[in-house]
This record gives sequence, structure tokens and C-alpha cells, in this order.
Amino acid sequence: MDDVLKTAKSCRHYAMCKIDFLGTGLCRAGEEKHFVSFYPQGRMDLYAALAENRIPITEKCVEIAESCDLCGKCDYQCYFVTEMKPTAVMKALKEHIRLHLENGGDVLAAEKDSILDGIKEIVGDDWATNDRAIALTYSHDPCPAAEPRLPDYIAMPGSSAEISAVIQLLNRHGIPYAVRGNGSSVMGFVMSEGAVIDLGRMKAIVFDEKNWLVKVGPGVAAFDLQKAAVKRGFRVNAAEPSALVCANIMCSGIFSTFSASYGTAADNYIDAEFVGHDGSVFRLSDPSAPNLFGFRRADSALPGICSSASIRLHPVPADEGAAFVPFASLERALDFARECAGRRIGLAIGVLGGEYVSVFLSPTKKLAAEVKDAFRDKLKMEYLVLVIGDKYALHSIKAMGYPYFDNRMIRILNLGLPALTSAKWLDLMDELADDKPFSYLGLAHFPDLAEAALAPSSAQLVGDVDPELRPFFEKLYARPEMTDPVWLNMFRIVSARMGREKHVVAMIIYLPIDHTLIAGIGREFKRIADSHGLKNDFGFITPLDDGKRCVFEYDYYLDQNDPREKIKMRQAMMETGMMIEKFSAATGTVTWIRHVFCQGFSRKESFLYSGAGTGP
Amino acid sequence: MTGIKAGGDEPHLLTGATGFLGSHIMAGLLAEGKRVVIAGRSSSREPLKERIRRLLHWFGMECREGLLEFHEIDFLKPRMGLGRAEYDRLRGRGCPVIHCASDTRFTEKNRAMVMKSNVESLATILDFATASGARWFHFISSAYAAGIDRFACPEAPVHSLRFNNVYEESKALAEDRVAGKCREEKIPYTIIRPAIVYGDSSTGKSLRFNALYFPVRSLQHIRDIYLDEIKNRNGMKAAECGIFINDEGVLHLPIRIFIPHEGKINLVPVNYFTKTILAILEKPENETFYHITSNRPENMTRLASYAERFLEITGIEVVIGAAGADAMKNPPEELFDYFIKAYRPYISDKRDFFRENTDRATGGVLPPDFGYEIFQKCMAFAVAADWGKRLFD
Repeated sequence: MDDVLKTAKSCRHYAMCKIDFLGTGLCRAGEEKHFVSFYPQGRMDLYAALAENRIPITEKCVEIAESCDLCGKCDYQCYFVTEMKPTAVMKALKEHIRLHLENGGDVLAAEKDSILDGIKEIVGDDWATNDRAIALTYSHDPCPAAEPRLPDYIAMPGSSAEISAVIQLLNRHGIPYAVRGNGSSVMGFVMSEGAVIDLGRMKAIVFDEKNWLVKVGPGVAAFDLQKAAVKRGFRVNAAEPSALVCANIMCSGIFSTFSASYGTAADNYIDAEFVGHDGSVFRLSDPSAPNLFGFRRADSALPGICSSASIRLHPVPADEGAAFVPFASLERALDFARECAGRRIGLAIGVLGGEYVSVFLSPTKKLAAEVKDAFRDKLKMEYLVLVIGDKYALHSIKAMGYPYFDNRMIRILNLGLPALTSAKWLDLMDELADDKPFSYLGLAHFPDLAEAALAPSSAQLVGDVDPELRPFFEKLYARPEMTDPVWLNMFRIVSARMGREKHVVAMIIYLPIDHTLIAGIGREFKRIADSHGLKNDFGFITPLDDGKRCVFEYDYYLDQNDPREKIKMRQAMMETGMMIEKFSAATGTVTWIRHVFCQGFSRKESFLYSGAGTGP
Repeated sequence: MTGIKAGGDEPHLLTGATGFLGSHIMAGLLAEGKRVVIAGRSSSREPLKERIRRLLHWFGMECREGLLEFHEIDFLKPRMGLGRAEYDRLRGRGCPVIHCASDTRFTEKNRAMVMKSNVESLATILDFATASGARWFHFISSAYAAGIDRFACPEAPVHSLRFNNVYEESKALAEDRVAGKCREEKIPYTIIRPAIVYGDSSTGKSLRFNALYFPVRSLQHIRDIYLDEIKNRNGMKAAECGIFINDEGVLHLPIRIFIPHEGKINLVPVNYFTKTILAILEKPENETFYHITSNRPENMTRLASYAERFLEITGIEVVIGAAGADAMKNPPEELFDYFIKAYRPYISDKRDFFRENTDRATGGVLPPDFGYEIFQKCMAFAVAADWGKRLFD
């Protein structure tokens, strides 16, 4: 496989090319046409299919290829996350089509279809198609458990009424459908052989400030919502930046490190509008509406299509900052996180693994690997607890006797990462005969010394970035928000880097913050992945509900293009599921996120406290 | 009490042979053509035999490997972790024991481990000595087991209740247990108490780079941070701290070293330590304590001047008294102070160690004065070995 095809087939579908998270602007064609096919993600899939002769060249194929102006924005976006440069694929796609046309090759016109005509009547000619080039880009994602399914139709309604009409039409013809918002798609939920209803056009964001809510359409991504909220002085509890807000609530409910104070599931919204499977429209606050607050510990179906949600707005303290508190053991990190949650110190709390943090902070895989070793071997930081809070919260952490990296130190550390890996003076830290671990962080002048020693600068940080992209990244990292832990944690633009090396499959459970239980389940996660030869690592833990429970993510990784790894991953996922069910039955307090899927509108208490099914 | 045979031709059983002092004792015995039974442990990366072989190579004594016998032991297990047959065979030989294995960390966070290694595990080796009818039990302790209740420290049992750290405390407790058990079991014993042992005074070679070396290494790293900043960047951070390269091209690095009182630093080179041990083993006196210490200890001011000269810096100032709350105005000064915190008791030590017993054993041979020539040799070796990282390259 040549490098271009390899890049094309390696698109993770994290959809970071669909949000303007670097301030470069978006792919012009994608913004205009909305179908995923016109974004770099779709073109990657399309090129791979053409190169492997899986589809013929269609009219839309030509349009998609020609719509790319080779602006190069996708290189910045994709390199930031995965270190891939899609422009080479875009060029190859254009070249493929050009040669085909020059050689007088056939261009397949869309087939006449009365059902398609019906859909077009509802949504407009531009917003429905049965072209194979479009359909292909809706046919698969990297989920190892999902097989590709090529849909017959793609429809992009622009309103609830249009959604309703499309559904009624599909129902009348007995056509199955899947619904998506055109955000990230990695779980195999959004494919159908019938129709895919793409809500990506419905991007309305309407603030109702006096009621502390913002009403969002199903095509609104977390990043765009957070950006709009922050502009008005608010914050929302947001998931990964390219995840769509409504879809995320429908799926598992939104959780983030801010869930330590903002909660999850029903805590995040005030009301929502749905289009039922029969096409009827209802609001969640309507007493006669289906009860989505309840929870059933079983695989569930969606109650309908969420066509808008009123999301809670939260105030942002002006004196907010971050504390990264280092720990040599998970046990101590959990104790601290639980104590903060129990005392309601901080708005966001997350226990992070050293690898997680090094991957987030590093612009390249190579640096991430070196930094991970430096964190572990030189600084003895196996785990970090991130706390975001106002000055009183941060003072409290100091008063509790925990030294931490503050905003300034994080910036120094981040921009000085390459120097960190070769800093001989750090060796002394380990050998220091001081009783309190990490007490050097309490030295009044330590940041000054670290600044002198690590020479933090965006130029240094991007030293091993692809030379072609280096000038852009140097400017990018010079921007204050790119090293501001509060901003990064709100917008979560670095979290997709988890999948930089390989696609990530997150194993997520809700459980009490109990060392023994967490260590036991963590060991099992590791044992299962290791037994299948899959890369795996601790993800994060965030306390919920005053630290009485937490959400625990453990990550498995696979090469999405390696069929053997896909089989291994499926086996590992199955064993992991059985393992979780076993813990769940034995403790009565462990809930697997699989049972929360499609029930993200429920009250968190329903699945945190009675979800395990053995309670009274 | 004299008149007990030193041990004849039977080999010594030596613990801690992979450590700094133990390895030098091993090398000293081998140099005299004596056989040694190594009772030690493999590391996570290397089996015991390989660890010893690496040391023999370092000492240039590979040809003496035939004089060694190896036993993998674990003091925290019954029968030292040996199988019954191996234990019985070893026991039957009645070898004199030199117990040198020790945990030399002195931070309070390591208390449990230090106590376990230095005190609790003694029972196993003492039981072995009893069971084997060991002809001698030599315990390598520390001059600092004397504690800090008094400044005059005789070569006698410790009566102190206060110590600088858990290491000193553990050594005092261990001495007490060794003496008690040996008296009870009628095993002749000696307690040998070295001060701070540095590298070989004639070659500068060393296997450990803590104690004397640590402050110099700290200064070197701090120097390099600012030299790099001045040479490769704008030197702004250095300038903020009053750090600059003077007209002679020497880095001026203003660092005050705060010590509570003038005090002393008691240093002996490892070659002197080895020679003294061998002399003691030759004619040991039962129930006798030996101080392997210097009668002319150094002071911090002189060592600071050595460090300045060696590192080609100026600005190091020794200040007697505690730093005030706001005294640490300078980042390198604050960091250096933090680095040497644990060593502060040893760089301004007021204790005097008497050494009549050692003088008797050695015929009055004293350690060499710690002049700049020795300092330079030792530090040059340390730098070349990257403070231990490239020791066996």
C-alpha cells in the first residue's frame, strides 16, 4: 500500500476537520455542501474506495474532487491530531479523477428514484442524494465491531418538520434509517443500508441568557457551542470538540472533567425536542412526553431523534486557574480526587495517567514517547490530578499540602517539553532527600528556574514537527490558549490525540472511588488487552456526585486497517464486557456505559446508584 | 578482649558486596588472596554473579573470580532464602561474617524500608551466625549512629535518643541488636563505624556519588542551566539572578549556602576505609567499636572554594545561620538549598569521633588530608562517569 492510500485509509473519523479548532477556517466545500463527502474526512474515504476500485466514478465524485481547492487547512488540522497530512490524498483524488476524465472514462449519473424524489421534495434538491460517492462516505467507521453498510439514500433535513416528513416517508416505504449529526463517528451506530439522515445542516445556537440556557440544533458540535458560550462569558459541559451536543446526550450523556461539578446525563440540559419514530414531535418537558429520565439496565433503543436541546449554561469565575497535582500512585491520586470532590473544591477534576498527559501535550508521537519516559522516570509522575477552580479552590489545594503545577508551570512545561527529556538537573529531583514528594513545586522561584532551564518557546516545542508545517505550528503554540490548561480542558482539542498512534476504543464504567475495586478492574482491563496483544492504558477518572461515584475510562488501541487486530479487539471487547458484568453483579455498584447508551437523557442517579441491578 | 583467632584461612562471608563499601571490602580481601563467600541478591536486571563480575572488571580483578563463592540470599526470608541443603552446607563452615548490606537512604518517607533492611532483617543473618558458630561477626555501621545528643563520640555503644535521620537511628538500633545477640550467643563481634566515605584518594575512582558529590553535582547542573541560557539565549534569566560571565570568562553564580554553624565534614577515602577494615579483620578485638574517621575534618568554606575552582565559577558564599523567610531571593540559591537540605547535618557537623581503637588496629595510620588535588581527582572521575550513569561504560 502506498503512503497516500495508507493515509486515506487511516482517517479516524474523529471529524476534527469539521470544526475550526485552529482558527484556520474550515474546508470551504465542506462548509458549503455539508455532506461529509465534501470534508477532508469524506474525501479520504472516497479516495481509498476509488484506489481500491470499490466504487465507480460518479457525478458527485467529480464534484467532490473538483470542490477541493488544495488550501492545505486539513493538513494543519489533521497533523495536529494524528500527524497525517491529507492534502496528499486530496491531490491524489483530483489526479485520479482528472486522468479518468482525460482518458474518456465513464461518469455514472445518479439513478432516477421515486423515493429520492420524495425526499428531495421535503428537504430540497441539494440536500438528498443516492450518489454512491456520497453514500460511501456514510458507510463505515473505525469501530471494530461494526461492518460497513452502504446506504441507499442520504438526506439532510433542515428542520424538525423536515425530519418528521422524511421519517414518515421512509416509514411508508419500510426503509430503515440511521441518524447522525455529521460529527465524529467511531462507534458503529450511524450506518444503515436504507437511509442515513444527516442533521449536519441544523447548526442553530440560540442563547437565552436570563434563563441560563442555550438552545442548540442537532448539527452543533461541542467546540462551536463552547466557543459561542465563552464569547458570552459562559461555559457548557462539553464532550470532545467534534462530538455533536444533541447526539452526545442521546448516546451516553455528556461527561467531562467538569462533570465533577456540573454532573452528567440529565444534569446537562433543561429541555429537548424530539421527533418520534412515527414522525410526531414532542418536548421532554411536556408531561405527556415519553419518560426519558428513567433508566433501564439493558440495551435500549433511541426514543426518537433529538432535534434540539436546551443546554445549561454555567458561570465562569474570573480568577479561574488549573492545578496539576502529581502523584506516584493511583491510590494517592484517587484519595486526593475524592477529597476534592467531597469538599467541593474545584469545578473540574480528573485523574489522568502520565501517558495520557504526555500525548495531549506533545505535538508529535516521538516527543510524546520521550516525555512519557521523562514524566515517569525523572519526575516520578505516574498520575496527575487536574483540578480547575477559582483562586479559593487553588488556595485550598495548597492548604491541603499538595504541591502542584499551576498555569504558569504548565505553560513552561508544555513549551519546554523537548528540553525536559534531556534535562540532567531533573535527575537530581529523584535523588533528592526530601520527604515530601514533588515538594520542589512549592519553591517560590521554581518557575523562574524552570524557565531558565527548559527555555520554553513554541519554536522549541515544534522542533520535530514536519518542516513544511512547522511555521504554522510555531505561531499556533505561541497563542496563550494553546498552553492554557483551563482553555484546553474546556475545548478538549488535544484529547483526540489519544488516537494519534492507533484508533482508540474507550472502555467506560461508572463505579465508586474505591482503590481496591478500581485497581482490580484496571488490572483486568490490562490483562485482557495484553492477552490479545493490544496496546492499552489507563485513561482518566473523574469523580461524580461529590465523589460518591466516578467515571473511569480505560483505553484499548487498534490499527483499524489490520483485520487481525480488529478480530482481537472484538474478542477483547467481549471479554471485557463479561468482566464488567461480573464486577457489576458482585458489587452492585458498577455500571457499564453500554447500558447507558441511548439513555443519556436519564437522571445520573438512576444509573449511578441503582443501575447495577442488585440494589433494593 | 583479645586473643580470639581472627579467622585463619576460612573465607569471610560478606553481605552487601554489590554496594560501595562492601565491594571495596571484597576487592581488598581478594587483593590479599583471600577467599570470599558472597551472600547477596540479584537485581531486577542482573543476576548476582553478573553484578559481581561487573564490579571485578571495574576493580581490574577479573582474575580473582575463582576466589569467590556465590549464594543468592534474601534476609527477609527464613534461612536467608536458601534451600535447606545449601543453608546447612554454608552453616557448617563457620565462616566469619562481615555484614555490610545496608539501606543508606535517610528520608523519613523511606523509614519503613530502611528499618526493615537495616534492623529487622538482622535477625536472619544473626541467626545464621549463631547456627553456624561464626568465628566473628563484623558489623559495618556508621560513625553517625552516634546520634546528636552529644558532640564527643567515643568508640562505644550509642546512648543517644536523637538522630538526624532514620538512617542514623537504624544503625544505632542495629548496633544494639548485633551487640546483644552476639554477647548472648558468645559470638565475637566488632562494630565498624566509617564517616563519609568518598572515592579513592589516589585515583579518584568511586562507585557512589552521593554525600560529598551531591552538592557539587547540584552546582554543576545549576551552572550548566545558566551557562546555556547565557551562551545560547539572551541570558535574561541569568541577569535577573545576578549571574553573568565575568571578564575572565568565568561564570559568576551568586549562591549562598546556609549552614546552621561552622561545623565540619568528616571525610575518609575509600582506599583508606578498605585498608583500615583489612587491618581490623587481621586482628579484631571482641566487643570493640572502630571509628574510621578523620582527625582533621574539612569545613564547608574550604569545600565551597574547591567546588568554585573545579566548576570554574565564582560567587559561592557560605553563610552561618539559618536563611530568613525572605532570604532566598535567587532561584538557583533556593534550588541548591533545597537539594542539599538532607545533607545539611553532615556539612556542618559538630561531632568529634574518637578513634583510639582504630589507631591501635592500624598502627596510627590516618586518612590523607582532603586537599584540592584529591577533590579534583574525585570530581573529575565523577563527571567523566556522569555521576554514575556511565560508570561501567
